[in-house]
Amino acid sequence: MLYSILEMFRNEPFLLFLITIGIACAVGGIPPIIERQRRRSIENDLPAMLEALSDSLGAGLGLQQAMMAEADRNTGTLGKMLRETLAESHASSFDSALASFAAKSRSSQVQRVMHLISTAIEQDAPLKDILSNMSRDYERLNDLMNRRESDLMGRAILIVMFVSIGLPFLIAFIVGLFAPRNQGFQLEDFNSSFTMFFGAASLVAIGVSGRMLGRMRSYAWWAPLWMAVSMTIYHVGVLVIGG
Amino acid sequence: MRSLDESKEILYVIRTLDVLMGSGVGLEAAIHSIAQGGYGVISKDFGELMKNINKGNQMERELRGLLKKADTDGYKRVINTMLNNVTQNTDIIETLRKQGERMEETRTDNVKEYIEELGGVPETLLSIGMIGPIILAILGIAPQLMADSAELFGEMNQSTIMSIVNAGLFLTVAGMALIGLKAHTKDPGL
Repeated sequence: MLYSILEMFRNEPFLLFLITIGIACAVGGIPPIIERQRRRSIENDLPAMLEALSDSLGAGLGLQQAMMAEADRNTGTLGKMLRETLAESHASSFDSALASFAAKSRSSQVQRVMHLISTAIEQDAPLKDILSNMSRDYERLNDLMNRRESDLMGRAILIVMFVSIGLPFLIAFIVGLFAPRNQGFQLEDFNSSFTMFFGAASLVAIGVSGRMLGRMRSYAWWAPLWMAVSMTIYHVGVLVIGG
Repeated sequence: MRSLDESKEILYVIRTLDVLMGSGVGLEAAIHSIAQGGYGVISKDFGELMKNINKGNQMERELRGLLKKADTDGYKRVINTMLNNVTQNTDIIETLRKQGERMEETRTDNVKEYIEELGGVPETLLSIGMIGPIILAILGIAPQLMADSAELFGEMNQSTIMSIVNAGLFLTVAGMALIGLKAHTKDPGL
C-alpha cells in the first residue's frame, strides 16, 4: 500500500519537494503561535496591572512597592515576569530592571509602557494619572485587537478550508467522474495546470487570511504545507476517483 | 506601508508627547526623545529633523518639510500642532490630548468598518475561486468528452483549449489576489 501511495507521486517531483518543505516549515510555524499566545496573555493583563499600579500610587505607595504588591496578586505570566524583574532589581537599578522586563516580554505594548514609565520617572511627571490613562488606552486597544481576532478568525479559516481543501476535492471529483483515466482520457497537461493553480490559490488564501488577522508573517510558515495539501488532494483525488 | 506605520504609531507618539510636555519638557527635547527610537517611521522622521536642526536649520522650516512628507491625516495634524506651537506659542498639550481622543475614536470606527468590509471578502473570494475553476475544468475536458460529437459542436483543439484554461486559471488567481488585497489596503493599523 505504501508503495502504491508513493507510486502516485512518481511524476510529481515538485509536489514531493513541496510536501517536504511544507512539513519543515510547519514545524517552524509552531513557535510563533506559542509566542503569540504568551504575548497576548501578557498584553491582555497589562491594563489591569496599570490600573492596579495607579490605584496603589494613589494610596501613597511608591512605584516599586506598588509593583511588588501587583506581582504578589497577579498569578498570570505577567505576574511571574514582574516577580522575576523585582528579584533582579535587587542586584541592579530599578530602571534597568524595567528595561529588562520590557525586553523579556517581547511585546511592543509592554515596551512602550515601560519606556513611558521610565520617561515619566525621569521627568518627575504625575505617574498616577499617566498609568490610569495608559490603562484605559491599552484596554481599548486590546478590546479592538480581540474583537478583530474573534470576528475575523472564522472567516479566515473558512477561506483556507474552502480554497485549500473543498475546491481541489470538488474539481478532482468532477474531473475523475467525467474524465476517468481508466477510460483513456489524456489529461496530463490539464492536471498539471490545475495542480499548480491549487498551489497558487492556497498561497493567496493563506496570505489573505493572515493579513485579515494581522499576522501574515506567522501564517507564511504554513503556506507551503497548505499548498502541498491542496495540490495533493487534487492529484490523489483525480487518480483515486478516476481509477 | 508608510501610511500604515504612521497610523499605527501616531497615537503612541501623542501619548508620549503628552507625558513629556505635560511634565515640563520642551518641544525640541520631546522630539529628541521620540527620535531615540521605538516609534517606527515617526522616530526616523524626527531623527532626521533633529539632525537638520543640529546642523543649524530652523525648526519651523523642518516641520514644514515634514508636513509635506507625512501621509496620514493624524500625523499631519500633529505636525501642524507643533508648527503652531513654534510660530504662535499655542497650548500644545491641550491640543494633543484632544487630537489623541479624536484619533482613538477614529481608530475604533476604522476597526469596526474594517471588520464589516471584510465580511464580504470570503464570499467574493470563494465565488470567484470556485466558479472559475469549475467552468474551466469542464472546458478543459470538453474536447475529449465531446470528441464523438465533432459534427455537432465542431472540431475543438485540445492545445487551444488548454491555453484558454491556463489563462483563465491565471486570471482567477489574480482576481483572488486582488480581492484579498482589500484586507491589506484597508488595514486600520492596530
